[in-house]
Amino acid sequence: MNTLKVEHVSYSYKNAAGEQEVLKDINAEFKAGKMYAIVGESGSGKTTFLSLLSALDKLQDGDIYYNSKSLRKIGGSEFRLKYVNIVFQSYNLIKYMTARENVQIAIDFDNRKVNPNTYLKQVGISEEEGGRLIGKLSGGQQQRVAIARAIASNSPIIVADEPTGNLDEETEEKIIDLFKNLAHEQKKIVIIVTHSKQVANHADKVLHLRHGKLS
Amino acid sequence: MFKRSWLSIKRKLGRTIILTLIFFMMANLVLAAITIKTAVAAQMDYAKSTLGGTVAIQADMAAIRESQKTEIENGGNRKEMFKEMMRPAVNVETANEIAAYSEYVKDYSYEISSSANAGDLETVETKGFGGGNMPSMPGSSRRDSTSSSESSSTLDADITISGINAYAYLSGVQSESMEIKDGTYFDEDTNDQAMVSYEFAELNELSVGDTFTIKNIYTEASITLTIIGIYDSSEFNANANTIYMNTETAAKFLSEDDYNDGNYEVSNVKYYMITSENAEEFVEKIKSDFPDLAEDNLTIAVDTSEYDSMANSIESVGSFATTILIIVIVAAIIIVTLIVTINVKDRRYEMGVLLSLGANKTNIIGQIATELLVIGTFGFVLASISGSFLASKIGTSIVESQVASSAQQSERNFGRPGAQIGGSSTSSMPDMPDAPDSSDSSESNSDSKSSSKSKSMKESIMSRSQQSNIDLDINATPTDFLLLFVTGYLVIILALILPSINVLRYQPKTILAGKE
Repeated sequence: MNTLKVEHVSYSYKNAAGEQEVLKDINAEFKAGKMYAIVGESGSGKTTFLSLLSALDKLQDGDIYYNSKSLRKIGGSEFRLKYVNIVFQSYNLIKYMTARENVQIAIDFDNRKVNPNTYLKQVGISEEEGGRLIGKLSGGQQQRVAIARAIASNSPIIVADEPTGNLDEETEEKIIDLFKNLAHEQKKIVIIVTHSKQVANHADKVLHLRHGKLS
Repeated sequence: MFKRSWLSIKRKLGRTIILTLIFFMMANLVLAAITIKTAVAAQMDYAKSTLGGTVAIQADMAAIRESQKTEIENGGNRKEMFKEMMRPAVNVETANEIAAYSEYVKDYSYEISSSANAGDLETVETKGFGGGNMPSMPGSSRRDSTSSSESSSTLDADITISGINAYAYLSGVQSESMEIKDGTYFDEDTNDQAMVSYEFAELNELSVGDTFTIKNIYTEASITLTIIGIYDSSEFNANANTIYMNTETAAKFLSEDDYNDGNYEVSNVKYYMITSENAEEFVEKIKSDFPDLAEDNLTIAVDTSEYDSMANSIESVGSFATTILIIVIVAAIIIVTLIVTINVKDRRYEMGVLLSLGANKTNIIGQIATELLVIGTFGFVLASISGSFLASKIGTSIVESQVASSAQQSERNFGRPGAQIGGSSTSSMPDMPDAPDSSDSSESNSDSKSSSKSKSMKESIMSRSQQSNIDLDINATPTDFLLLFVTGYLVIILALILPSINVLRYQPKTILAGKE
């Protein structure tokens, strides 16, 4: 079973006041087929932890392993390309492209020849909607396109940062179902950083980040 | 990467158009500068072929002085020696043999001079002028330095005979102090025809086509000449009693000794080269084929001053084009660098997203480079269409000035490719002599020949001028276009250096956190 293991990860920021430790010797294990929710107060280090999990930021102490392969050895760019995909609260889609073209980018990076509509259909985006420029889609539709892009990348790990933060309740429900499906049906490791109780309630495991410690 | 580049080009039309316009303008200027350089190279070739240099056979004065010095040292009579001093000259047969080297020689000129007796004709009194004749001075032969015989004459030498193979090479014509008032010019084919001065013609009521008889002062033989043209000279010391004709006709006025069975001596021997490049080679060939010339104290010298002065002015245009090219390239690199840097900053978010998806930085730089190369290609292709016209216009205007002056020259050189008349290319063109009437030309066979030559003169000159234009390819060549594309792509690559450094410093987290 695919596993993502976090070992002794610490992280601190340097500012005018001195060094501020945000994450303190974090240890965790995430398994394929499960959806994890990481909750915590603002400033608790959730986004920093997510940045390290998704290799957007460099590790300071400790290491992260995917199936015993060290992130430090794999390298950030390679790790993002092959193992992890991120869904952002603000979707981070490329504005001058259509929904289909945004998904196509992830497929191209993976060097596969798949119709992007296959993934858009999975998240409930029609072919007609898929041909629209990102700016012509609603927030919910954009988030679904972002998830479709994450699925299309074929990465075994999906990390999401407040994926339902900008969405209404009904859409939030649909998005949660999508993530659950990714974990349970497609056997991916799904890690969601969230404030939402609803998301936390649907998670297979909820982890609390308090004062830099994960519990 | 290529798909993303294409999408970016297609969807960000405003930026694409601005960059295309910049590349288009830059390419136009680069192409113009390259074409000017090509035109300059073409003009250099043109100058080489038209201003072919001159090879002259002259007396080797240094060698003559040296031999005089030796003779004086050996007890020779100093006074006698200088009194009898004759400048060495070339025999006409040798001169003709050298002129027959058609692979080198475009044209040639040589002269003889003698005197004649006016007989029943009246001569113009030119008292007080240095070059004037001296009527009624028995035996005063106005032989030139080529004359070496001791022949004496019994008749008055009141007419100066000046023979040259073509009218165009007369010093008065070259200095533009002489012009044809009526009739036309003479050349090698117009035997027994001559040009008389306006004053001489008026005094004796002669006109073009008339014949007159004068006498050889040595043999007292009467020689009848037909007037082919009447000249007017503005020269201060012009001798109105000088009759001009070709060398073969003038040779009839030499003494028997000087005539030397038709192998008379000629002076002021000049050969006009097809191209100045092989003038030195020609000199070497003459030296090796005619070793007697050196033994006779004659030197063979090259004069390419006209080509050299032309080459200098053309080269200055070439260096001007190089300066333009450098300025345009530097300006283009700066402008494109600034635009791409701004563009890369504007697209930080897009690049952050791509980095978060696993794109490496070289892939992103590759995307920007591809976009620029594609847009640059649009601009260069457009510039190739418009620029070939624009560059051709610029190139033409530069070369035209020279072609125009050469064409003017061609019209003023009386059909002689080697004749370089006057020092200024902007000097006014003298009136073209009209062809003699057919009634006049019927008076003699040679006159008729001359007439047909004169009739076609304007056409042949025009055709020569047109030929000059055709020979000059001042349009942008395929090499120019290739150079444009190579220069353009080089500008793009250089302009990418700074923005690429920026991209290498990008961190996806910083970019996306900033966004969020």
